[in-house]
Amino acid sequence: MVEVGVEYTRVSEIRGPLLIVEGVSRASFDELVEIETIDGIKRLGKVLEVGQGKAVIQVFEGTTGLSVKGTRARFLGKTMEVPVSQELLGRIFDGLGRPIDGLPEPIAEEFRDVNGAPINPERREYPRDFIQTGVSVIDGMLTLVRGQKLPIFSGSGMPHNILAAQIARQATVVGSGEEFAVVFAAIGVQYSEAQYFKRSLEESGALRRSTLFLNLADDPAIERIITPRVALTVAEYLAFDLNMHVLVILTDMTNYAEALREISAAREEVPGRKGYPGYLYTDLATIYERAGRIKNVKGSITQMPILSMPADDITHPIPDLTGYITEGQIVLSRDLFRRDIYPPVGVLMSLSRLMKDGVGEGKTRADHMEVSNQLYDAYARAQEVRALSEIVGKAGLTGVDLKYLDFGDAFEQHFLKQAVDENRTLEETLRRAWDVLSTLPEGELTKIKEVHIKKYYKARG
Amino acid sequence: MAHVNDNVLESIVNKVVSQVESDLIAQIESSYAQSLERLMASKASLESEYSKIVESASKQAENLKRQMVESSRLAVRNKQLLLIEEAVNNVLKDAISRIDGVRADERYETMMRRLIESALDAIGTDAVIECNDKDRDMVDRIALELQHKYNFSIEIGDSIDCLGGIRARSKDGSIILDNTLDSRIERLKPILKKDIARLFMV
Repeated sequence: MVEVGVEYTRVSEIRGPLLIVEGVSRASFDELVEIETIDGIKRLGKVLEVGQGKAVIQVFEGTTGLSVKGTRARFLGKTMEVPVSQELLGRIFDGLGRPIDGLPEPIAEEFRDVNGAPINPERREYPRDFIQTGVSVIDGMLTLVRGQKLPIFSGSGMPHNILAAQIARQATVVGSGEEFAVVFAAIGVQYSEAQYFKRSLEESGALRRSTLFLNLADDPAIERIITPRVALTVAEYLAFDLNMHVLVILTDMTNYAEALREISAAREEVPGRKGYPGYLYTDLATIYERAGRIKNVKGSITQMPILSMPADDITHPIPDLTGYITEGQIVLSRDLFRRDIYPPVGVLMSLSRLMKDGVGEGKTRADHMEVSNQLYDAYARAQEVRALSEIVGKAGLTGVDLKYLDFGDAFEQHFLKQAVDENRTLEETLRRAWDVLSTLPEGELTKIKEVHIKKYYKARG
Repeated sequence: MAHVNDNVLESIVNKVVSQVESDLIAQIESSYAQSLERLMASKASLESEYSKIVESASKQAENLKRQMVESSRLAVRNKQLLLIEEAVNNVLKDAISRIDGVRADERYETMMRRLIESALDAIGTDAVIECNDKDRDMVDRIALELQHKYNFSIEIGDSIDCLGGIRARSKDGSIILDNTLDSRIERLKPILKKDIARLFMV
């Protein structure tokens, strides 16, 4: 890298979020750059390309107001770093990690590269510890485990942030009673959404164990590239240096991908699907793969990225590629949302790939997995019967079909639906699951062992 | 005959009155029993409603208590952060104010030489060096030495307002290296702050 602090004044071009500086001899890829305008205002950027005496710089705060004449680029000889310490908990920062809570810059224990250090795959520990979120549909059917990355696929206007905030407030590890430190990264969200999250953590007393990074909708779009990385760097320090269990919420990853597309277009790269760069998958993986557990380290990072699917399209490149990397997904259903069912989790589209390793005897309850499977099976049948009854009418249905219709309603009203501030124990969740399963004839419970039916089926006798 | 009739009538009236009376008593007793029954039932539901209200209120109180405790802790911690920041800044300010006295130390000249050399390394052979009035003679001397040693072309530019150190630029102004102490302190401030805070055992 060049001598720290060398400034170059020959800005030859400003193209979208990019600044091209000439006469640069020893800049490095990803090096942090401080850009100073003619008025002395400073912005941050990073080197995207370097060669033939030119450096292409991506300006995080955008290039609006910059001019070719009088703009200076100072190469700082390091990649972007964030100060980390325990004192970051209870603090609020902007998307680049600068304090916006009226308090001073945090005094760092260390400075960490925002790109993080990949976890050695051999040192990774398989996630197995059940996290109780207090939300029946998640605890009962889409169990979250410590160290998992489980995204919420949502749509515009749906209550994904309310659900994420509820999980952040309520998440505990059963038995240990350990609460999570929460790292929340708002990526291009509305002010009201960020405020809701802050207020929600404040009211539950969880703000003291939370760190918030807020890039709002009116903040520069390019800053969004950095926000999740800054948040995850802090999460890694809390988890792997301070042994905390950290829940990271990244909302909304669609805005992150949009910013990536903007830069890619400005660099005139060959576009992939819907104009997103061909490396979108790899780029998303550099974020999502920062979740996990490490052998012999007590802490963990559980990631809950939220992404709003454009036009509710689950085949859109962002949810599509996210689904390949993460360990399942929670999909919010527009239909349930319209019917005023909260949380509107479309269970048939949702899945937690690590659930099987986090539930069962010794972890939750012996019948948990079977109950979940039976609920899936019966709700799928209920949906089929609903579709059928639309065509043939209720009169054309058999007695058993009618039972499944009732089951569908009971499942949505008694099991799925709950209040925003309702924190259900796992016992209550499973009790409710058995309540709704007991609306079906015993013979229909084909996924559950007889011993559990004997113990929990309520309509028997 | 009329007397007999009166007696019969009286007896009938008595019978009717007695019947009505017993019916009324039965009705009153039944109503009383029903009321008691309802009261008992209401009592149970009232008790259940009462415990629900108490439970919800105690939950709310618990939440409020937790919220207040956590908010207070956070406020105390934030106040502490502000105090530490103030103390660290005071130490830093004091240290900076003492830099002027360091000029007499021979290590200052060594440092100035290093700053000029590193600036020339970054900028190239044709450079303009700027410094404050107090360092001008020293910078002149070092520049002359380096010119002879490396065959560089070095000009000494206008004086600048700084604590010490130099600012170098290429003659066409396209490359600038700010190696003034002010700028270096600014760049190192986060690390210096950390070290100072450690002195306060933070």
